[in-house]
Amino acid sequence: MPEVFSISQNPITAHAFNADRSQLAVSLNSNDAQILIRSGSEWVPTEMLTEHDKVITSIDWAPNSNQIVTASQDRNAYVWQQTPDPETGKIVWKPTLVLLRINRAATHVRWSPKEDKFAVASGARAIAICSFDPENNWWVSKLLKKPIRSTVLAVDWHPNNVLLAAGSADMKARVFSAYIKEIDERPAATVWGSKLPFNTICGEFTSAAGGWVHSVGFSPSGDVLAFASHDSSISIAYPGGPVYNIRMPTLPLVTLTWTSEDNIIAAGHDCQPIVFSGSDAGWQEIGTLDNGSYAAGSKAGAGSVGRLKAGAFATFRDADSRGQTSNGTTDTKLITIHQNTVTSVRPYAGVPGQITQVSTTGVDGKLVIWDTASVNALTGRMAAMSM
Amino acid sequence: MDVAFRKIDIDVYDEDALQDSELYEADSRDPAQVLGDARARQASVRSLLAKNDIAGALTAILENAPYGPNVEDAKTMSLQSLLTVLNSTKSTEIPAVIKSLSMDSQDTLMKYLYKGMAMSGWADSNASVLLSWHEKLTEIAGTGCIVRTMTDRRTV
Repeated sequence: MPEVFSISQNPITAHAFNADRSQLAVSLNSNDAQILIRSGSEWVPTEMLTEHDKVITSIDWAPNSNQIVTASQDRNAYVWQQTPDPETGKIVWKPTLVLLRINRAATHVRWSPKEDKFAVASGARAIAICSFDPENNWWVSKLLKKPIRSTVLAVDWHPNNVLLAAGSADMKARVFSAYIKEIDERPAATVWGSKLPFNTICGEFTSAAGGWVHSVGFSPSGDVLAFASHDSSISIAYPGGPVYNIRMPTLPLVTLTWTSEDNIIAAGHDCQPIVFSGSDAGWQEIGTLDNGSYAAGSKAGAGSVGRLKAGAFATFRDADSRGQTSNGTTDTKLITIHQNTVTSVRPYAGVPGQITQVSTTGVDGKLVIWDTASVNALTGRMAAMSM
Repeated sequence: MDVAFRKIDIDVYDEDALQDSELYEADSRDPAQVLGDARARQASVRSLLAKNDIAGALTAILENAPYGPNVEDAKTMSLQSLLTVLNSTKSTEIPAVIKSLSMDSQDTLMKYLYKGMAMSGWADSNASVLLSWHEKLTEIAGTGCIVRTMTDRRTV
């Protein structure tokens, strides 16, 4: 049974947990990031991180160095560290500005595995690779620009701390080298290449029917790349080998995470986490983590799948065929736990390669923690889908 | 308020503007060849229809369908042949025919259905046929099929 928390009435744009999962940073579609502390079965707001002056688009929490990085539409990113307040002595989160040098919104941010760098995706057709400059006590950036042709929507680090995957609105998923001479050791050769100066393109993939690439992810070993695009498909690419493309009959997926070398969990506009499984011999969708009966008070009848049969449609049908203007009589509740698009799925428990739980947040303001082992078949419910 | 400035094509002044052609792989065939293929296909569709092979006729049109710029004639011709096939299918046969198509063909069929509905003057005479095919196709291929019609830049 998944754990469900209603965090807010507003959409949750991004979420990130600290190392022991006792604290959570969320952005509720606003200029501020909120820190919540778990107390029993509730999340209690404690501190507000206020510094951005436009909506925060992404948050990441470095587990070992306990630093938070936030990216926003105001074209800035801040790194937050806990330090004692000079006056009261209380421990508070203090921001450090990052010199991003981008002239459009920052869209996505992720710490590198070693936490000595982070990558900021942006609408300026660039990815800023940021590293700390101890001399000036600020974060400086180096831009990955070529050959990006449009807004970068998502980034993900390779476990070797050097390679970076990026998905963008020019329909491409790419693998770049984000090697910074000053801090990185020369990386060992991988399947993506051996000589890796900054901005080397190690791979470029696209889905047949195109579509913005909403999410990218390296497998735990880093040898395989998965990406979800807006043509309702997910692609799994083996460098120099096959690229598997799974087309879904449902609405597009927008976020994904690998739970093991042969399993991916992805979610999106269909409001539920879908599980994909496979190997270099082929990939397929194997089910969902949401069996359709968890959502309290919902009728899990046949035909009430996802959004197709959802409220709006029934309302218009009733108005058309029976002349009814059904005020509150139709059930607009979806049979899934999430009642709106899932915007973020992240590992919650386990070690890379053996993730036992994942967390999801979405536009409905809910946070849900799922066991990755309880997969339910989706096929029966797909067949029930009708107009 | 003067809003004429909104109609200025600012991409003209941007050397680095993203071109449509960068977003999909162009058809490697020559426009004249595409038109020839479409003509040949039109004939084969007619003979398949005479044999009452609806699925075969549909597959023939949907495979290697013309897309991209400069092939408007071939596109219109393909849509014409497709409408002939759609119109000569009994409504009870539609689901079986759709199920026999490959996923690629289903996606392409959805593109043609929307094209048919968008063509002025065409939709009037074919509206009910297009809508009933659309309903059946969505039941089988899902909303994902419609989403792919919207995202795919290889327009038919």
